Amino acid sequence: MFPGSFMMGAKDRLLPPSIPYRFFVAAVFFHLLAWVLLLVGNEGVLGFVGGQGMTLAALHLITLGTLAMTAMGAAIQLLPVATRRPLGPVWAIKLMFILYAPGVALFAAGLAHSFAWAQHAGATLCVVGLALFGGLVGANLRRVDDLPGVTRHAWLAVASLIGLAILGLVLVIDFTKGFLPDHTSVAAAHAVLAGYGFMGMLSAGFSFVLIPMFVLGSAVPDAVGKRTAQLSGLGLVLGAGGVLVGIGTLSALGALLGLAATIVYLRGMLASLKTRMKKRLEPFFRMVWVAWALLPVSLVAALLPALGAPLDPWAELWVFLLVFGWLLSFVTAILQRIMPFLASMHSSALGGKPALLSHLSPKLPVDIHLGCHTAALVLISVALVGGWVWPLRLGLIAGLAGAIAFGVYTVEVLRRYRSHMAAAVAAHQQG
Amino acid sequence: MAGDVASAGINEAGGPPEWLSLALDAPPLDVRSLLAQGVDPFATVMEAASGIEFGGSLVIDAPFNPSPLRRILAGRGFSSYGRKLGEGHWRVFFHLDGGADWESGADVEVSPEGAMSWREEDGLHIDVRKLAPPNPMLAILRLIESAGPGETVVVHHEREPHFLAPELAERGWRIARVSSEVVNVRLWLERVI
Repeated sequence: MFPGSFMMGAKDRLLPPSIPYRFFVAAVFFHLLAWVLLLVGNEGVLGFVGGQGMTLAALHLITLGTLAMTAMGAAIQLLPVATRRPLGPVWAIKLMFILYAPGVALFAAGLAHSFAWAQHAGATLCVVGLALFGGLVGANLRRVDDLPGVTRHAWLAVASLIGLAILGLVLVIDFTKGFLPDHTSVAAAHAVLAGYGFMGMLSAGFSFVLIPMFVLGSAVPDAVGKRTAQLSGLGLVLGAGGVLVGIGTLSALGALLGLAATIVYLRGMLASLKTRMKKRLEPFFRMVWVAWALLPVSLVAALLPALGAPLDPWAELWVFLLVFGWLLSFVTAILQRIMPFLASMHSSALGGKPALLSHLSPKLPVDIHLGCHTAALVLISVALVGGWVWPLRLGLIAGLAGAIAFGVYTVEVLRRYRSHMAAAVAAHQQG
Repeated sequence: MAGDVASAGINEAGGPPEWLSLALDAPPLDVRSLLAQGVDPFATVMEAASGIEFGGSLVIDAPFNPSPLRRILAGRGFSSYGRKLGEGHWRVFFHLDGGADWESGADVEVSPEGAMSWREEDGLHIDVRKLAPPNPMLAILRLIESAGPGETVVVHHEREPHFLAPELAERGWRIARVSSEVVNVRLWLERVI
C-alpha cells in the first residue's frame, strides 16, 4: 500500500553466519599480523615516507586486510537488510573472499620482501575481489532511494574504490618499471582516496544506521547525510586532485572541506546520541570516541604536509592518525559490537532462546585492547614527531598486545556462540 | 453502509468525528483483492485521493489498519477515522479538511518515533511501517517496556526485523510467531518464560 512496499515483504536476507565471519576472522588475523610486521621491521618505521618493506606491508595488512575486509563482511550482511534488497548470489560473495583474502596475504608478502611477482599477483587478486565487492554494492544501491545518508556515502566509496584501485595498480607497476615522475604524490592521492574516500565514506555511511541502532538513538535526518556526502565528495576531489597535480593549497582546501563534513557528521551523531534510550553506552563505544576524536585530528594533520611542512614526520603522522587513529579505532569498535550482534541474531535459528549479547561478549579482552590501542596511538604519535625509537618500540608492543587481546575476544565470541548453538541443537533433537 | 459501521466493533473510541456523516455515503474502495493478488495498491489509493476536492471523502476497505497510509494522507490534508468491521476487514474514512485532527477521537497513541499503537483483544498492537531505521526498533522497545505482565505485543512491520531479536533477548522478550503478508509482516512478541 506504500511506495515500494511490495518489496518490503521480501524473505529472509540473512546470510549463513559462516560467510560474514570468515571476513571478520581474516580481518582479526591480518590485524595481528600487521603489528607483528611493524615490530619486526620497526627500524624502517621512523622516517617512513613510502617504498617497499615491512612498514608498507604492515600498512596494507591494516588497510586491505583489516579495514576493507571488515567493511566487506559487514556490508554483505548489513546492506541487504538495511536496503531490503539482495546483495547478490552467495557464490559471488564466497568468490570475493577466495580471491581477496589470499590476494592480501600475497600482496603484503610481496611488499615486505620486494617480490615483484607477488606484488603483481596479490594486487590483481585484491583489485578483482574489490571490484566484485564494488559491483555487488553498486547493484544493490542502484534502486535504493529511501536511505540517502547511507547510499550517497556508499556511492562515494564505490567511486573512490575505482580511483584508489587504478592508482594502486599504477604504484605497484612503478615499483618495477619506475615510470612515474612523482611516486610519492600518487601514493598520497591513493591514500586520500583509500582512507577518506573508500573506507571513510563506508564508515560514515554505515554510521548513520549502525550508531543509532546500537545506542537506540533517533534516526539521523536525511539532510545531515546529504550534506556530509556533498562536502566529503567535494573534499575528496580537491584533496586527491590537489595532491596529484602538486597544488598544496587545493589539497588543504580539500582537508578543510573534510573538516566541515566531519563537523556536520559528528553533530548528527551526537544529536542521535542525546536522544538514546540506552543511557549507559556499551564498552565498544569507548573506541568510537577515540575514532571520532582522531578523525578531525587526522584532517588537521593532513593540512601540514599539504601546506609545505616536511613529509618526514608530518606525512607519516597524518597517515598514522588516519589509518590507525580514525579508521582502525572505528572499525575495531564496530567489529567488537557486530560480531556478538550477528551471533545473537543467528542464535535463535532453531527456535530456542537467542544468546544474549552480554553473554557473548567477554569484557576483559576488549578492555585490554582499548588500553593497549590507545597507548600505542599516543606512544607512536609522539615517537613519529620526535623521532624517538623507544616510545616507538613500546607503542608497537602495546599495539601487538592489543591485537592479541582482540584476537582472544574474537575467538571467545565464536566459542560462546558455538557452545550456545550446540546446546540449542541438543535441545532441538530432544524435542 | 452506516448500518455496517454502527454495528461493527468500534476500534477508535471517543465517538466518531462530526465529518463522518459526510463520508458514510462515499463508495468504499476495496483494496483487499489487490493485496490478496500481491499487488501494492498504493498507486490506486493515491490516484483516488488525488481526485478528492476539499470537503470530500474517500473510504478504503483494507485487511488491516493501514496506519502508514493514514499518516501519508494526513500529510496531504486528510483526517481519518478507522474501524474494524470484522477479522481481516478494516474500513477507514478519509475526509479532506486539512487533516489537523486526524487522530482525534481515536484510542490510538502515537509514539515520539511516529509509530501508532492501539489495543486489541489479542494484545497491544504497534504499527511501525514506513518509519526510518532505527525508529521501528526504538518504538517497539519503548512499547514493551510499558507492556503489562503476560501481555503480548503485536508488531505490524514491512519486513522481518532481524536486528530487533538481540535487543529483545536482552530485555527478556522473544519473537514468538511471525506471519508474513503483503506489506504487513506481523510479529507476536512475548516475554521469555
